[in-house]
Amino acid sequence: MSASHHPAEALLVDYASGALRGGGRMVLSSHLMACPACRDSIARFEAVGGALLSALPPATLHKDALALALARIERPVPPAPATTGPIAGWITTPADVVRAARDRRRWAAPGVWVASVTRGPGRASTYLLGVAAGMTVPRHTHRGAEMVCVLKGAYVDDDVRHAPGDFAFNDDSVDHRPGITAEGDCVCLVFTEAPLVPRDWVGRLFQPLVGI
Amino acid sequence: MNTPPAPRGPDGATLSGLIVRIAERGDREAFTALFSHFAPRVKSYLLRLGAAPEAAEELAQETLLTVWRRAASFDPSRAAASTWIFTIARNLRIDLSRRDGRSPPVDDPSMMNDGPSRPDDALGAVEDEARILAAMARLPAEQAQVITLAFYADKPHSEIAGDLGLPLGTVKSRLRLAMARLRIALAEPPL
Ligand SMILES: [Zn+2]
Repeated sequence: MSASHHPAEALLVDYASGALRGGGRMVLSSHLMACPACRDSIARFEAVGGALLSALPPATLHKDALALALARIERPVPPAPATTGPIAGWITTPADVVRAARDRRRWAAPGVWVASVTRGPGRASTYLLGVAAGMTVPRHTHRGAEMVCVLKGAYVDDDVRHAPGDFAFNDDSVDHRPGITAEGDCVCLVFTEAPLVPRDWVGRLFQPLVGI
Repeated sequence: MNTPPAPRGPDGATLSGLIVRIAERGDREAFTALFSHFAPRVKSYLLRLGAAPEAAEELAQETLLTVWRRAASFDPSRAAASTWIFTIARNLRIDLSRRDGRSPPVDDPSMMNDGPSRPDDALGAVEDEARILAAMARLPAEQAQVITLAFYADKPHSEIAGDLGLPLGTVKSRLRLAMARLRIALAEPPL
């Protein structure tokens, strides 16, 4: 299965350079794990990073830097952290996302659960949002950027279907009311730079419950 | 900025070979050669990104230590040594900046073993580096500038737009044009 909605190239450059951090990086990572085409682009951008690294004038190291490195490679390798397997039925995600799904899931409203993955910087928030089949997320807009990757199921936004692996970037020019398709429950990984702005009374009623 | 100097020291194939020797037989001589070439450049890269000298030195150490430990996962037909080491340094830097403790870069999908592979062209990844630098040198200054800010100043494209006083769309299209040119350069017949 391969995704049909991809991030803008500039966002892929941000990923490759390392400028994209935190929750935004997790959402994009989830898309990349499902998207060979974007992984291919990332590999090329990383090759640019590698070439630029090669072209840098070497800095001066401490005089005992090599001796220290040679001593360090003799030390035993610390045990790898316990790996967290993927969740059945979801696309592969970063381990932090799996842990959040297992440990921090809470019902926010009938048919809706959230699990906070990470907070910050500032008012940014990264969370999992699980919505039951046929439910509709209230109309809202955004104060800053929002990035979404579908992990399971599908939702329809403005007649466009978003399926597992699909990536969406929404900003304050988007005023939408996504509906979740009835194929089953839908789980998304969401990064928001700032809390959502609900656009109608249903949304205002709904937001405190969900806490997003 | 527009004409980065050609890489000095061992060529790409030699550097890849050093990592393979580490993977195959824990070759300390190969590690010494690799460290001597890359550690000063990784430190230089981190200093450019604004790291303090001590932190840059330590992260350069960590990067080469990770190279030693993960050498077996390096595939010379898919990435140049410089590209692989760049991603390790980048991931360590990101991990270090996370407040909630450190974790090794195990989640990085760009580390998944399926980069742009060209099975009939084992030296492809190595030749790419020279082509990229040559293509960079031919980029219009405004495109080279955004690439340089992205990779040498640690700036997301939104911040680059703010710093240069340009509309976001302009920065996005400059990045897109620059990457398209680099992509074409990579598709050209061998130099
Ligand atoms: Zn994609």
